Amino acid sequence: MAQIVAVGIFVLMFVLIIMDRIPKHIITLCCAGATILVVFGLLMRSPEAIWETLNLRSIGTVQFWYEAGEAAESTSGINWATIFFIFGMMVMVEGMAKAGFFRWLCMTIAKAVHYRVTAIFITFMLMSSILAMFIDSITVILFLAAVTMELAHLLKFNPVPMIIAEIFCANLGGSATMCGDPPNIIVGTALGYSFMDFVTNTGVIAGISLIAVLIYFYCCFHKEYRKADESRAADVVYPDPKDAITDRREFAVSSVIFGIAVVLLVTHANTGLTVAFIGIFIAVLTLVTSGKEALDLLKKVDYKTLIFFVGLFVVVGGLEQTGVLVLVADFIGKISGGNIYLMVLIILWVSAICSAVVDNIPFAATMIPIIKTLASVTGADLSTLAWTLSLATDIGGSATPIGASANVVGTSVAAKEGYPIGWGEYCKTALPATILVLLVCMVSIFVRYC
Amino acid sequence: MAQEKQRIIAIGREFGSGGHLVAEELSKRLELPMYDKNILEHIAELKNVDVKNWEKYDEHPKFSPIFRNVQGYSNSPGEVIAQMQFEYLRRRAEKGESFVVLGRCGETVLKDYDGLVSIFLLADEDSKIKRIAERENLSMEAARARMKSANLKRKVYHNNHSDMKWGDSRNYDLCINSSRLGIDGTVDLIMEYLDKLWNTEA
Repeated sequence: MAQIVAVGIFVLMFVLIIMDRIPKHIITLCCAGATILVVFGLLMRSPEAIWETLNLRSIGTVQFWYEAGEAAESTSGINWATIFFIFGMMVMVEGMAKAGFFRWLCMTIAKAVHYRVTAIFITFMLMSSILAMFIDSITVILFLAAVTMELAHLLKFNPVPMIIAEIFCANLGGSATMCGDPPNIIVGTALGYSFMDFVTNTGVIAGISLIAVLIYFYCCFHKEYRKADESRAADVVYPDPKDAITDRREFAVSSVIFGIAVVLLVTHANTGLTVAFIGIFIAVLTLVTSGKEALDLLKKVDYKTLIFFVGLFVVVGGLEQTGVLVLVADFIGKISGGNIYLMVLIILWVSAICSAVVDNIPFAATMIPIIKTLASVTGADLSTLAWTLSLATDIGGSATPIGASANVVGTSVAAKEGYPIGWGEYCKTALPATILVLLVCMVSIFVRYC
Repeated sequence: MAQEKQRIIAIGREFGSGGHLVAEELSKRLELPMYDKNILEHIAELKNVDVKNWEKYDEHPKFSPIFRNVQGYSNSPGEVIAQMQFEYLRRRAEKGESFVVLGRCGETVLKDYDGLVSIFLLADEDSKIKRIAERENLSMEAARARMKSANLKRKVYHNNHSDMKWGDSRNYDLCINSSRLGIDGTVDLIMEYLDKLWNTEA
């Protein structure tokens, strides 16, 4: 009975998220409340299940803040490390945005390539990937799309292919690192992988995929953009990147903090500092250096997303505690007959297709206990399944306008500036690119891990 | 008629009920600007973009499962354009401007303004079909199909952006069947209502 109710709550949560009538954080919070009261309280009568799912005791342990490997022991319930890290990054990014960092970077690159549209197209794709490795893709696309629109008006080119390419590359770049995309943060913190583990595994495959994607987008659109370059008026007044900087001191400070965050993340397996520690440290550093503006920065943090995560982890905890996810893992194990090729195929394509149509964060959170059980039952290498899951959920989300948050933000900015992008137009470009990258990932995983 | 106070006339309408004609005539008689699809032209001019890219999404319904909202951003072009229009109307209202607005959920978007008078125009089915057939040079059957589809879109669009149901008499100050009095008669009736209302307020 508890299993049926837990599944019911989970399905209801997904349906309500898809219907988009009630804010997501309210949905997950209410479903979390129902899981605690009905599933754990009434049906299981298990205070221990509630306590394990809330996972509050993990925050008080030394391992939560220091030594990443051991912190991964508790994969059940609320993943506080993910929440603390995302909070820290949100504070840092707010500080950077306020100082004009992103606009300055975009304009500097455009100037460096002499405002040639084809070169902007390629460099913005690269920049989108690189920034998304460290910063959430929503912020990357928000600024990149805004500058792309500005340059499109100025240089008279169609910004739609460029925005779709930037979105695609942001999602791809996010798959390269542990902090690039929420599914990776959840996978990394839950299974105890470090930043460098991601870079040397998903990062390498994302790098190969990026080359394929650059060639794909270049072949599709270089003629159109070359025409824009050839027909450019001579009297165009180009913007000065320096004008983007709103405050020189804040700009310098936020750049240094960003640099520190990157160094801490890259070295966290060596230093032993966990992502939870890094997130909180960066947030404190940003707040301390921003002085009077600290309260403003804190107010701008997207707490709704953090609440969404808390609720989501409890609902998935309900599935875990009632054993539903073990049943799913057993089912996948039986279909695949323990064959690693089949397991990778199922996880890759099912995760990618699901992530293209539903939010990839709840999907990844649900899949983690499944792949963990699958690995222990069939003896398959857990890391292979983890890299497959990360790549599939991150890249699958690029296929449709609703697959990932960056897609929604990018298409929204374009529509506001006079270029609405419907499903047809988006998928015509992004779907073939997604299939191409998934094929690259599939072959890479087979060759390297199977 | 006293015009010192802010006057906003929001007109909702069934497709084929003559809502546009009524709004236009009211705007003339009251000497107030009228906002309908021209809102998009104004925004496009401000942003220096081609309005044609937006036109097909004007008063466009949003079917939830294929659209998502993230931190206030939506991938639905119809939603983005609707929000820009609502913002435009709110700004006009905030400046104290008086105007007539046709559709665009005016009665919901501007409900906080004391000067708002909300009107919903309906009509008998036959008269709506006849008007559509004449205006768009369609057969009666084609006009009926067009009316049904357009009214469904308007209903979904409205209900996407409002807690109140489209055409529900409880949400409007006046609901008028334009088939009974014709366009001019309907405008006369509204003018009489406004006159009494504004004189009472004064």
